Amino acid sequence: MKAFLLQFFTWWNGQTLGTRFYTWRKGKLVGTDEAGNKYYRDPKTDRRWVIYNGVAEASRVPPGWYGWIRHQTDVPPPEETYVPREWQKPHLPNLTGTPQAYRPPGSLRNPQPRPTVAGDYEPWRP
Amino acid sequence: MTKILINGRETDVPPDFTLLQAAESVGIEVPRFCFHERLSVAGNCRMCLMEVKGSPKPVASCAWTVRDCRPGPNGEPPEIFTATPTVKKARKGVLEFLLINHPLDCPICDQGGECDLQDETIAYGMDHNRFYENKRAVEDKYLGPLVKTSMNRCIQCTRCVRFLAEVAGVPELGATGRSEDMEITTYLEAALTSELQGNVIDLCPVGALTSKPYAFKARPWELEHTESVDVMDAVGSNIRVDTRGPAVMRILPRLNEELNEEWITDKTRFHWDGLATQRLDRSYVRVDGKLQPASWPEAFRAVAAKLDGVPGSRIAALAGDLATAEEMFALGLLMDRLGSPNLDSRQDGTKLDPALGRASYLFNPSVDGIEDADCVLIVGSNPRTEASLLNTRVRKRWRTAGVRVGMIGAEVDLTYPYEYLGAGPASLAAIERGEGDFAAALRAAKKPVVLVGQGALTRPDGQAVLAAAARLAAGDRADGWNGLGVLHHAAARVGGLDVGFVPRAGGLGTNGIVQAAVGGRLDVLFLLGADELPSGTLGPTFVVYIGSHGDAGAHRADVILPGAAYTEKNGTYVNTEGRVQLAKRAAFPPGEAREDWAVLRALSDVIGHRLPFDSFEALRAAMHKAVPHLAQVDVLPKLGPESLASLGRLGGELGREAFRNAIADYYLTNPIARASKTMAECSAMAVGMLQAAE
Repeated sequence: MKAFLLQFFTWWNGQTLGTRFYTWRKGKLVGTDEAGNKYYRDPKTDRRWVIYNGVAEASRVPPGWYGWIRHQTDVPPPEETYVPREWQKPHLPNLTGTPQAYRPPGSLRNPQPRPTVAGDYEPWRP
Repeated sequence: MTKILINGRETDVPPDFTLLQAAESVGIEVPRFCFHERLSVAGNCRMCLMEVKGSPKPVASCAWTVRDCRPGPNGEPPEIFTATPTVKKARKGVLEFLLINHPLDCPICDQGGECDLQDETIAYGMDHNRFYENKRAVEDKYLGPLVKTSMNRCIQCTRCVRFLAEVAGVPELGATGRSEDMEITTYLEAALTSELQGNVIDLCPVGALTSKPYAFKARPWELEHTESVDVMDAVGSNIRVDTRGPAVMRILPRLNEELNEEWITDKTRFHWDGLATQRLDRSYVRVDGKLQPASWPEAFRAVAAKLDGVPGSRIAALAGDLATAEEMFALGLLMDRLGSPNLDSRQDGTKLDPALGRASYLFNPSVDGIEDADCVLIVGSNPRTEASLLNTRVRKRWRTAGVRVGMIGAEVDLTYPYEYLGAGPASLAAIERGEGDFAAALRAAKKPVVLVGQGALTRPDGQAVLAAAARLAAGDRADGWNGLGVLHHAAARVGGLDVGFVPRAGGLGTNGIVQAAVGGRLDVLFLLGADELPSGTLGPTFVVYIGSHGDAGAHRADVILPGAAYTEKNGTYVNTEGRVQLAKRAAFPPGEAREDWAVLRALSDVIGHRLPFDSFEALRAAMHKAVPHLAQVDVLPKLGPESLASLGRLGGELGREAFRNAIADYYLTNPIARASKTMAECSAMAVGMLQAAE
């Protein structure tokens, strides 16, 4: 019920009602990435779009799909023979503004104790 | 005076001036690397070349005196040129040769920004390189925990060699090889043993010798400079405290011809890491035998509760070796208001008494005056550890005039020869009776110095020793010459005696206070940074410690009120000569700590005896009103021999025990030095060396 209502009143959760209608009319599902985002294509106009699984955040598109959705390549990742190297890490969206955001060493928001600097002193404790 | 033409301008200079000095006297700057005013002339860097009319080649102006110049064919005054194309080209050539083997290290060199070679390269450097061969490589030498070497950068000016041999008196550095293969070395890869070795860092015109504790910590242009006064010994060397933000990054000497010239001791230069360790940064109150953190009001209330209803005679105060005159004055006022006569600033128990006149506890001949002395008698002191820079003056006098030095006390290495006259007061009495060769020399001397150390004055017969020394100093002397030199080693001592931080009528002195505390006859004891006491033995007394470092006093304390170290407060220090000097604040005290005078003022309010000043200026004004001579900053007191007459008439039985020197470990004499890792390392090494020597 909540997801149903969100379609009406928000644009940043998955898809809006208009997108749902457009996708039903024109869209042909090309594939799904590891985050569950669905990628569609209009065979007539070669228009490509994504319906996010959750918050609509452009940086959630992983690199393989990034190339396809921006017409850099016509071969979508599922049809690709590419095997990721073992050192390749899973894709992370932009975490700015979330609790997982990067905090540099010395940041006040960093839970780790900050490194010692020249102005520090060593207090005496009994 | 000799007439000489410099760049066509006629000027009169003494004939013993070098051309370099003559040029400087008319305001011409001469580049130099090896030449230094306080060292012998080496003349090996060739940077100061000048043209002398009639001479076929440019001459090294640092080694060529005005008297060496020949007049013209018709008796015209000699003519020199400092800025001709020849001179410029010659200097440029010299610099190019120097840079052939100098690494391009400037971005990672600690000297960067204050390097003579950098500066001269701006003026005389080539814009391109003509040297495509490999640069010379020199192995770095180990010079101990204080001086870091990077010998590739060395330009063989030999200033460090000359300094250690001439001023410090420990010829431990030398040069091997010649020309390109010349290396500065200790020969044995052993640490330097001089207590003045840090000065070679300042002397080095390049970054070959740099400070090891300061290595890669800061750049000179990041630092803020504060001109202050050293408290590590009682000479009161003038220093510059360099800070970056809240941290003291290094300490450098300031020029004062009458005091430290341009040297400072290693303890002064390298103790700064102690300013950031073992700091008291919050108040503590002892609850059930354990010190618990407390807020300022809680700590004050604990003191007030303890003081409530206690008679003045059961309260006492002791001031330590680093206290400023203002603090001691304020604490003295507070003790007067509490009705307590028991206060003392002489925590080593020295028998000096301000009632005998100011001349009885000052180094009257003055540090600079040693250079006029014709006979020096050292009694119960090792000036090399108690006042290293004063010792270099005696050494300088010995080097220039061969002054006769006698020594009564422990036999130590003073870096110059002396006549050993005996170990105890008996030898002093023998000198007074006129026995021996040295006694005759001392009696005949016009400007003798009788240097009395604290080792001879902290004994039960201290006053008798002092009186005997005063009688030795008196006699048929040069006009106004007062030869009695009491050598202090605590920066606060003279200030404490000046503001009268001594027992009032019927009060207890240091020894009395400690005994009363052990015997349970004392209820409350204030320690103003006093850490040199046998603090475990203060009995059941309630101890209030005001200070900056967690040292002996803080361990024993029942209430700790955190104060400021000397770099964190303004204050007046009086050196062993009686010269009043001002220390300035370079940083702020850490955490909750406050300046000591403010702590005393706030405490006085809580215990109901409000002190009559609300600002530091008001306190200082009150002190100046009470002790007018403390307002005469940087003035050397001139107290003539007549001021010693009453002291000389004091009798007293001389003891039989030999004099012991006051300082056991040079590097660990005060709470700041004891908190410093660098000083601990030096101390461990000095002890190791002593053991190896035995």
